[in-house]
Amino acid sequence: MTSSALKDAIRALDRATSTPDLVEATRALCALGDPEAAGTLVKVLGFNNPAVAGVATQGLIQLGRDIVPTLLVSLDARNYGARAWVVKVLSALRDPRGLDLLEHALNADIAPSVRRSATRGLADLEIDPSLKDQQLQRCMQGLLKAGHDDEWVVRYAAAFGLEQRLRTTTVDPSIADQAVAMLQNLASDAEDARVVRHRAVLALQRLNLE
Amino acid sequence: MEPLTESQVIENLRQTEDPSAQYYAAWWLGKMRSQHPDAIPLLLATLGALDDSPVDPDRRGVALNAIRAMGLLKDERTDGALLDRLHSNDYSVREEAARSLGTMGSHAAAEAIRSLLASGLDGAGREQPSTPLLQEPCEALLEALGDIGINDAATLATIKPFTRHHRPLICSAACRALLQLTGDSCWGEQLTQLLLHPEALVRRGALLDLGAAGWTAAVPMIQAAAVEPSLKLVALRGIAENSGNQQVLDVMDALL
Repeated sequence: MTSSALKDAIRALDRATSTPDLVEATRALCALGDPEAAGTLVKVLGFNNPAVAGVATQGLIQLGRDIVPTLLVSLDARNYGARAWVVKVLSALRDPRGLDLLEHALNADIAPSVRRSATRGLADLEIDPSLKDQQLQRCMQGLLKAGHDDEWVVRYAAAFGLEQRLRTTTVDPSIADQAVAMLQNLASDAEDARVVRHRAVLALQRLNLE
Repeated sequence: MEPLTESQVIENLRQTEDPSAQYYAAWWLGKMRSQHPDAIPLLLATLGALDDSPVDPDRRGVALNAIRAMGLLKDERTDGALLDRLHSNDYSVREEAARSLGTMGSHAAAEAIRSLLASGLDGAGREQPSTPLLQEPCEALLEALGDIGINDAATLATIKPFTRHHRPLICSAACRALLQLTGDSCWGEQLTQLLLHPEALVRRGALLDLGAAGWTAAVPMIQAAAVEPSLKLVALRGIAENSGNQQVLDVMDALL
């Protein structure tokens, strides 16, 4: 059932043309707190308008995990900007149902911004207790893979994510060793991007490994 | 498809039958920071096509990629050729040569770049009739002066008028250069005003210019700007690497 308030808000959004009007209409739609608005907010992410997409992203995150099923079927194959925002929302919600999508986005998406957001998601994803070992293993493998990515920003996210997992979760010792070795590699001269080296050094310091 | 080896790429650049293979090869050598002994001589050889009459558009494309690669390879054997190309009658060739000389921090290029801008807003900065181009590639020239880093009075006097250009992206490039050269926060403040511009394109440009200038005071404004996180991360990378400030990394973490 679509409420009349929601219908009005969607109509206002359809009528908006300038950025300030789009921002205002998107804010109004978010303010309803109605999970039924998720599909429309996802469409807004595809407008290539960062001012509007920023508002819609925050609104989607506030709608919470009820909207995860909508997000899982919302990746626009032709718009990487929109995919990056959707993956960002999914990562922020930390819902274990996002694991397949995040894993696939990291492995297969051509856009570095999508792979970066997916890496962030694998760092923070809440693990389903009944499947803990298997899901944690998949998150860690994803983070290790991200450490080999061609793009500095994905490797940066990997350094962040490996630190996050090693600090907050008990990880199987063999994979923890691989994670530390990856951080050491990212902190070394083998890494081209100075900012990635800085981030990996910081991770090792925080883990008392340096 | 198997990735190409460096020696295959070199052979692809050496042959002249297939310009698209040369085009990719020139890009690859720069991207991979190739140290192959034939890389520089072969890249330089592609520039000859720019002197043909008429210029073959495919070979011109190869030469433009070669100029970009030279900027990344930073080899002094290319200095003379790039300096010559600042006087090309082809706008894009002047633009790419200026970018590469800027990336290389070429002090020898500073005077020639300054002279291209010397005619100011009514000369270099004037619009060419019925194209989106200005008379000179001002954005690339201004950025190059900032990157080269000579902050003498003549350079500053050449750049300053462009902070009042009617195109915001030219103002942004001029402010970026002045911020790099003087460290004076007034230029940074003018750049942060552009972060509030109604057009996303201008906000993105100003954001990247703030990052390139490495101005730490801009971090909160960059964080709050209505721009994609991917560009904010690029800008913050510049600031983090320039300042070594760990708090910048915390801001980056929050944007991932």
